Amino acid sequence: MFGFFKKFRKKSPWILHYNTGSCNGCDIEIMACLGPKYDLERFGIINKGNPKQADILLVTGPVTKRARARLLRLYMQMPEPKVVVAVGACACTGGVFRHMYNVENGIDRFIPVDVYIPGCAARPENIIEGIKKAIEIWERKQKEKVEVPKVLKEIPDVETLDRREIISKLEEKYSERLVIEEDEK
Amino acid sequence: MKGILFTFALLSPIIGGLIYGLERKFKARMQNRQGPPILQPFYDFFKLTDKRALQVHSFHSLMGIAFFVAAWFAVFALLIGPNILIAIFLHVLALLFFTAGGFSVKSPYSVMGALRELAHILAAEPILVFAAIALYLSTGSWNIEGILTSNTVPILQMPLLFCALVLTVPILLKRSPFDISEAHQEIIGGAEIEYSGLFYEAVYTAKWLEYIFIGVIVFLFGGSNYLLGALLVAATFLFVWLLDNATTRLTIHYMMKFAWGILLPLAAFNIFWVAIWR
Repeated sequence: MFGFFKKFRKKSPWILHYNTGSCNGCDIEIMACLGPKYDLERFGIINKGNPKQADILLVTGPVTKRARARLLRLYMQMPEPKVVVAVGACACTGGVFRHMYNVENGIDRFIPVDVYIPGCAARPENIIEGIKKAIEIWERKQKEKVEVPKVLKEIPDVETLDRREIISKLEEKYSERLVIEEDEK
Repeated sequence: MKGILFTFALLSPIIGGLIYGLERKFKARMQNRQGPPILQPFYDFFKLTDKRALQVHSFHSLMGIAFFVAAWFAVFALLIGPNILIAIFLHVLALLFFTAGGFSVKSPYSVMGALRELAHILAAEPILVFAAIALYLSTGSWNIEGILTSNTVPILQMPLLFCALVLTVPILLKRSPFDISEAHQEIIGGAEIEYSGLFYEAVYTAKWLEYIFIGVIVFLFGGSNYLLGALLVAATFLFVWLLDNATTRLTIHYMMKFAWGILLPLAAFNIFWVAIWR
């Protein structure tokens, strides 16, 4: 019975696109993929913009400290089965922003990544190929297995698998605290 | 006649899905894209069955299913019921279930979408009621079979009201320029934002039934001339899809002014004119 429904996965992958502080180069390329020239919608792909109904998480940018709690929250809000695609050099490794004081050097420190798409910015052909690979991985995933962010191991005493608790614990640890340095006068 | 209408009502989610698939194809072709296959809505439907459903709370999920059931019931009431006015009120009830679901969660987008949905009901439904009155005035029957077998052609007597009805279709189907309650990437679907998996499937399918509901009402303006009715439906949907591609989203105040300031007086004028002139 469930084998029947699994066949239709590759025909309608819905995308959630999140920008974790990228320069907008990769975002423009993703938009170009959805536009008339590359037309991802012919494969049934639409940019849903809603984590609860999306299947593929496309992340661009090197994860700034402001964005990391939201990235974890969006990842947790997506229902299984889901796949994560890191688009562009920044999302893969940090790119030109690597080792700067305000970034986290790529998304794979936080959430499990299935496909890495290189390039600065990633070309639309590469993005289409990456999404195709992501769909292949997505077809093998189980609905029953709950996937949690990698950084959950760093937080002590998490035993529950309740999403709301996990989200609040992650936000507590990774939400950015603004430190305003006062001028000494 | 009764048997055909019953079968049509029973198959209405499937036909509505095909119309939605056609819409996506047509819109893509208008933008010089290839577009998804016509069966794409059904692929989405089957995929959503195999997704994990995250519930916010049980009342919210129940309202999603109630929206689908009530919308289908409204289509049944329209096609085999005694009175098309009752079907229009049942349609309002279906939308109110959806609104109640939207209000029941904490998400601000959901609440805002539900508020805007209420404005949509307020803008569109009076004109649907006027359309039912117009059909009664020109054919002398509240019943769908009576309208389909009468000798008159309602659109010839009610051209202004039909124009108003055609411009109501974008408000009812939430298409641009009046896609205010759905507003993709602004409030991301509005009241449907918190549904997932099976429960989103119900909401997604209920929206296909809206095509059938408004399509049948437009079809009735052809009276007993079924070819004219079919042409009217095709022309209306093509016009709405073209309008969707060609315009941007307007504000909620503009929609209310447009519906109550232009469309409703237009429809009322046509009805009074016909009622007095007879």
